[in-house]
Amino acid sequence: MSISKSFSPVKLIILFLSMVVLCCLPFVVSSFVLRIATGIMMWIGLALSWNMLGGYMGYISFGHGASFGLGAYIAGMLMTQLHLPFFVSLLIAGILTYIFAALVGYPTLRLSGSYFAIGTWAFAEMMRQLVLVLTITGGPEGLRLPPMLNDNFFYFVMFGLALLVFMVAYLFFEHSDFGLKVKAVREEETAARTLGLNTTWVKNQVFALSSMFAGIIGGAFAYWITFIHPDSVLGPLIADQMVIMVLLGGIGTLFGPVIGAIVLYVGNQYMLVMWGQSSAYLIILGLAICLVILFLPEGLMSLLRILRGRRRGIIKRLLPGMKKSNI
Amino acid sequence: MGLFMQTTVNGILIGGIFITIAVGFSISYGVMHIVDFAVGEWIMLGAFTAFWLNQYTKIDPLLLIPFIALFFALVGYLFQPIIQKVVNIKHRSAAMMALAFTFGLSTLLRGSALTLWGFNNRNLVTMLSEMNVNLFGITVPAIRAAATVFSIFVTAAFAFFLYRTKTGITIRAAAEDKTVAGLMGIDGHRISRLVYAIYVGLTAMSGVFIGSIFSVFPDMGLRYTAFAFFVVVAGGMGSFSGAIVAGLLLGLISSFVSVYVGGAYVFLILFFILYLILVFLPKGILGKGW
Repeated sequence: MSISKSFSPVKLIILFLSMVVLCCLPFVVSSFVLRIATGIMMWIGLALSWNMLGGYMGYISFGHGASFGLGAYIAGMLMTQLHLPFFVSLLIAGILTYIFAALVGYPTLRLSGSYFAIGTWAFAEMMRQLVLVLTITGGPEGLRLPPMLNDNFFYFVMFGLALLVFMVAYLFFEHSDFGLKVKAVREEETAARTLGLNTTWVKNQVFALSSMFAGIIGGAFAYWITFIHPDSVLGPLIADQMVIMVLLGGIGTLFGPVIGAIVLYVGNQYMLVMWGQSSAYLIILGLAICLVILFLPEGLMSLLRILRGRRRGIIKRLLPGMKKSNI
Repeated sequence: MGLFMQTTVNGILIGGIFITIAVGFSISYGVMHIVDFAVGEWIMLGAFTAFWLNQYTKIDPLLLIPFIALFFALVGYLFQPIIQKVVNIKHRSAAMMALAFTFGLSTLLRGSALTLWGFNNRNLVTMLSEMNVNLFGITVPAIRAAATVFSIFVTAAFAFFLYRTKTGITIRAAAEDKTVAGLMGIDGHRISRLVYAIYVGLTAMSGVFIGSIFSVFPDMGLRYTAFAFFVVVAGGMGSFSGAIVAGLLLGLISSFVSVYVGGAYVFLILFFILYLILVFLPKGILGKGW
């Protein structure tokens, strides 16, 4: 399946125009809006990276924040202690997170279902505690990075990263044999193995790949925010938000995490502006998860599908003789 | 030697209360097949209920325990159908959705508690708080001793209920195989509701003791969720004897690490051990779990 075949000309034009708009954004909007846009890009990338593991492969992880924090700390330490340039640190952070996740994934992925969720959660909490007691990471004092005050730069970095993750999700998970293998693991792991699929390898690759993207984005986040603390980059809230964004948008879809990230992040920033830093955000988050699971288990994407289906139904009723392919 | 003995006694005494939590938690997992991420929040709510009731009525928290257990059992009984709805949802990973649901529930409860009551620590003062018992040169805080005695009593009563009464046998049957139990005329929904009610009641009740031994604050749930997972995973899901051994082990580890290594390392080491047990001994240290 090639890309050109699955994209109609209209969709290609829409895609091209939105790219142009997104590239021009920093020169049009205020720096406040730009920072929000940067945040949205970051969370789109994170939600998509979680979706690779939780959505396409069906392994719900509550510890994906660990990869994000690990990347942030690796990049931060490389930049402050070895004085490496930003992009080099980012690259090394990505590679190291990939290797680390592959090593951790090997035993962890033997677990499945609830045990996997508890295992990743325990591992992520362990990482946070470890960073809190180590001296090389600054412990509870956190880590301060050299400041770089260029909003446009970070917007383009995050935009590029989100685009990269999106492309990987699109090419590797939606339109390739690899994606089919991953989905086979989700649907019926034992059957996939009996058909000769090396599920251990597939699972490990997906785990490492999705962790790597979270790590790279974490590294970029560290440089953007310039101050990282175990509770801010390794805290449970990071993983929580990734899970919620994907569930909200629609788990296992390509555009679901994007929609979920936009809705949740904009909502979060709106609350921040209106009420300030408040723990009420946790109430909204928790309520959002519960309500989405109860009433909209396929996420906002299913709402779109229902709307589209209804419209098609109307057209069909109006034009009974019309061929299905024309609609 | 004195310090060593003191640490051991402290560890065993605190382990007792974890056993009560783990027993309820693992039986609810057995019947409903849901890992409840909100277990710590029920503890937090139990402790806070005791605190506020104590503030307004001036009744000793320890005397409030039966009331809190009943109240939260009722809450669990009324709340269970919602969780059941999530479990029955038509989705390819309904179990995962239920897991995420309890996760959302825990976030919701924690956020509500933080918003309502702030970040402050509160002390739950009971009639035993100031008392100490001296045993062969070892100081035993009376509240810890009471908690242990009480939890042994509750666990024994619960074991008797599960193994010797008709309802208990139906619960165990439903935990073993829900379909076959259903064929034998056991109403799975009724059993699930009952078990969830017992579990929430037991957990909230333990919260009163935990709150009076340590302190009460809205963020405490996370720590006790971790402890409950530790006991249940280490003991093996649904194993009674495993829960007892793992509860004592948890008490000993946390008390020894905080005395001999340092308080900051307790969670690091606990999570590390939890992870290792999950990966290498998924059926628990006694190998008796499901």
